[in-house]
Amino acid sequence: MIPRGVRYALSGISWPLYALLYTPLALVAFYSFAPAPNQAGHSLHAYGVLLHDGAVFTALRRSLILAFGSAITSTALGTLLGYGLCRFRNANAKGVLAHIPSLIIYTPIIMPGLVFGISELIFFNFVHSATGFLGAGLQTMIIAHITFQVPYVALTVFARLAGLDPYLFDAANDLYADGIKSFIHLIVPVVQPAIIGGFLLGITLSIDDFTISFFTAGPGSVTLPIYIYSAIARKGISPEINALGTMMIGSIILLAIIHFFITRHRERAGQLTPTGKIA
Amino acid sequence: MSAGVKTEVEIEAGRQRLRLWVTSGPGLVWIMIFLLIPSAVLLGIAFFSSNDYGSPVLPLSVQSFQQVAGYSLLGWDPGNIIIFLRSLKQAGIATLVSAALSYPLVFFILSRPESVRPLLLLFIVLPSWTNQVVRTYAWMELLGPNAPVSWVAHLLHAVPPDLGLAPGSFAVTTGLAYNYLPYMIVPLYASAEKLDWTLVEAGRDLYASGARLFWHTVFPQTLPGLLSGVIFVAIPAFGDYVVPQLLGGDKALMIGSQIANQFTETPDWPYGAALTIIMLVFTGMGLVGFRILTRKLGGAEEATI
Amino acid sequence: MMSATTSPATAEAAPSAKRGAISICGITRIFNGSAPAVDHVNLEIHAGEFFTLLGPSGCGKTTLLRMIAGFETPDEGRIFISGKDVEDVPAHKRAVNTVFQSYALFPHLNVEQNIGFGLRMRGIKSPERKKRVDAIMELLQIGQFATRSAAQLSGGQRQRVALARALVNEPDVVLLDEPLSALDAKLRAELQIELLRMQKRLGMTFIFVTHDQHEALVMSDRIGVMSKGRLEQVGPVLDVYEKPKNVFVAEFLGLSNIWPVTPTGTNTAASPIGELTIDAPLAGATLAMIRPEKIWIYNDTAAPKDRVNLFFGTVREAIYMGASTQYRIELAGGQLVLAFDTNNQAAERSWRPGEAVAVELKPDNIMLISP
Repeated sequence: MIPRGVRYALSGISWPLYALLYTPLALVAFYSFAPAPNQAGHSLHAYGVLLHDGAVFTALRRSLILAFGSAITSTALGTLLGYGLCRFRNANAKGVLAHIPSLIIYTPIIMPGLVFGISELIFFNFVHSATGFLGAGLQTMIIAHITFQVPYVALTVFARLAGLDPYLFDAANDLYADGIKSFIHLIVPVVQPAIIGGFLLGITLSIDDFTISFFTAGPGSVTLPIYIYSAIARKGISPEINALGTMMIGSIILLAIIHFFITRHRERAGQLTPTGKIA
Repeated sequence: MSAGVKTEVEIEAGRQRLRLWVTSGPGLVWIMIFLLIPSAVLLGIAFFSSNDYGSPVLPLSVQSFQQVAGYSLLGWDPGNIIIFLRSLKQAGIATLVSAALSYPLVFFILSRPESVRPLLLLFIVLPSWTNQVVRTYAWMELLGPNAPVSWVAHLLHAVPPDLGLAPGSFAVTTGLAYNYLPYMIVPLYASAEKLDWTLVEAGRDLYASGARLFWHTVFPQTLPGLLSGVIFVAIPAFGDYVVPQLLGGDKALMIGSQIANQFTETPDWPYGAALTIIMLVFTGMGLVGFRILTRKLGGAEEATI
Repeated sequence: MMSATTSPATAEAAPSAKRGAISICGITRIFNGSAPAVDHVNLEIHAGEFFTLLGPSGCGKTTLLRMIAGFETPDEGRIFISGKDVEDVPAHKRAVNTVFQSYALFPHLNVEQNIGFGLRMRGIKSPERKKRVDAIMELLQIGQFATRSAAQLSGGQRQRVALARALVNEPDVVLLDEPLSALDAKLRAELQIELLRMQKRLGMTFIFVTHDQHEALVMSDRIGVMSKGRLEQVGPVLDVYEKPKNVFVAEFLGLSNIWPVTPTGTNTAASPIGELTIDAPLAGATLAMIRPEKIWIYNDTAAPKDRVNLFFGTVREAIYMGASTQYRIELAGGQLVLAFDTNNQAAERSWRPGEAVAVELKPDNIMLISP
């Protein structure tokens, strides 16, 4: 297929590229072991400072609340959305009206994060001055996060459902399951990998986000990325930031690898069909 | 008998519609309320004048657009035009770099046994799962004044002493390429995976080899993935906020920072909204342009938008 | 089990209340303004019989089946299952189970769980459920696959699981939508016999949909032939085959020779091959049909004398098919006749192209059919 000479060339370019991909992250880790003040040699000093910093833990807690809170809600909304569009939409509907759901779903995905964040800022600002509700803070952040996660969940669930044998619904009906029972005993178990995948995707998107969080945050709702950003703005580069960054990178890598091997193991055990794999 | 049965069908159709609304309704309504309406408000604000605090007030005017074009009390300033062009340039270079790096990576993965490929893909995508700020911060360190890379650049006389490669244009471009590389690789890989290698064999059979073989048989087949990748990289890179803020400083201001400033540092909402509209117009034109290009080059419609 | 003689059910008589009997009265289904998929079909299916709906693709047989199951609602007409009108009964409440063409086995459940799904939905608890599932698995010899998932089974195994999943619920009626079409010829033949035996053993009404006439002939008690949404003919297999009503049925269910006829006397009619003596009322007759296997062939010199419907001609084509040979014989007037003869004699009795032969069409084998 690919001639051997080309293969060697590809390897020669690619391995260094892989290394390059991880160099910045490795550097962050490296600098996190900076010596303590007035001492020589590497140390865990920065980690020590970090672990005693209450503000960091508060920020972490807020990030987790934000991520899980938004992911749970968006998974619920998105699953129903994807399910409804797959199951109940009239396939023959024509005209502009039929495309509206697609447009609505894709908008959060293609909208640049900046525009997204600023729109929310303005919107919540108006709502707050008009009604007193939804002051900038964790509430507004969760709402914004839910908004950008729902389409991803909906699309993941839709894709899984659309790939199913359409006669499965008839089969369930035939076997005495009404609408609700079909949902519980057929749809949910089959779609479950997509639901879980959507949930994890939501969490990842939430944790990864900065821009939207930044513009919807309030004075008291500092999350981890915002904390880091502010620290950089104030102090610039510092070992504590490196330590924090290293821990974040490390946990993500660990979780990703675990998830990967769990998925592969389940596939091999014949429990998942190939279409059950996420991402 | 007939009349009753017909209504039965209508009732069933009505039930289906109800079920559709009950399931899809909440999600769609949510997005409408919390994104579509706010966006509309943002775009609408552009047509207001601004008061001293930067808030939108009547009367309606297009003054903010004039500001975008560079006209203000002090006459005409090409600043915004420069920012737009710089944003285009940096996003463009970042896209080119991503594409150039993606091809060897993608084909490298394809040259490996199938069992290893998911793992290799995972490792490329993995860095993009860390937070943007942390990723960009990493480059701040790597290209900062005290880092070895800058020292090398200094030796090559690429930068003045005591300054690093960051903050600066080069850093921004690098940061953009690094952040968005996975967005290029995934669609390109999807395309390349479905490659019909018999075309390559046909090409060889017809005496092509090396670069020409690649260009005529492999490259065209990867076009759909490449074009998707270009869209997925160029558009977010163009409007990115974090990278230019942290890696650009004051020297490499991009449109994202400029817009954000109108809502944080120096509030002027109508102006910011107008800038946003212009940015979206550029983005929209780019999107449309690429879709036309895709169709002209005969690429299969992969995106479902 | 009711015999295959004429059933007196008319549209006015009350639908049979026997468990598993189905009455279909004036059922019509129209999709989106095109021609009706099912066009005013009236049909009685007897309790406990193996009934086949036969017809080409698009004739409406599957749509009719789906209306019995409850997946589609008729635009006109009523369906009675075991004597009850099911117009307001949704699919999940009907005592009817379906075996789908694609089997539609649930991918997230193993074989055991698939089979027990219907029982579970009806609230039957574990010990009882397990007993019934085990019993049906043993009956269909799939017990060894109990814990496998559908993806790990072969086509024939999946078919049996799909069947088990339907039968275990002991429905009044079992609907089978071309369940054997995805299998290779040998497996198909085996399963045809097995299905038939299963049906006889369990005594449930089976409604079987197929486009394969051989399958229909092998398995059914009675057949209903459908074309373009209309029911062309219903009856015991033998009757429908031997006495087709019209050209469509004659040609769909086996091969035939058909000629236009004009009555010339009480028992005689003129036809392109000559004068035919026919043993049936000739008033208004337009077409005559005879099955190829009913035609007697003789060497032209050895033809019996004093027979009616004796015609002479030359063999144009002889296709050897193992047990029989198919002949195309050109008669004196240029008409071609298709005839089968069993190869039950020594080689001298079979004819080769170019040989002169005589064919005899016995009067009671000639059927009068509509266009």
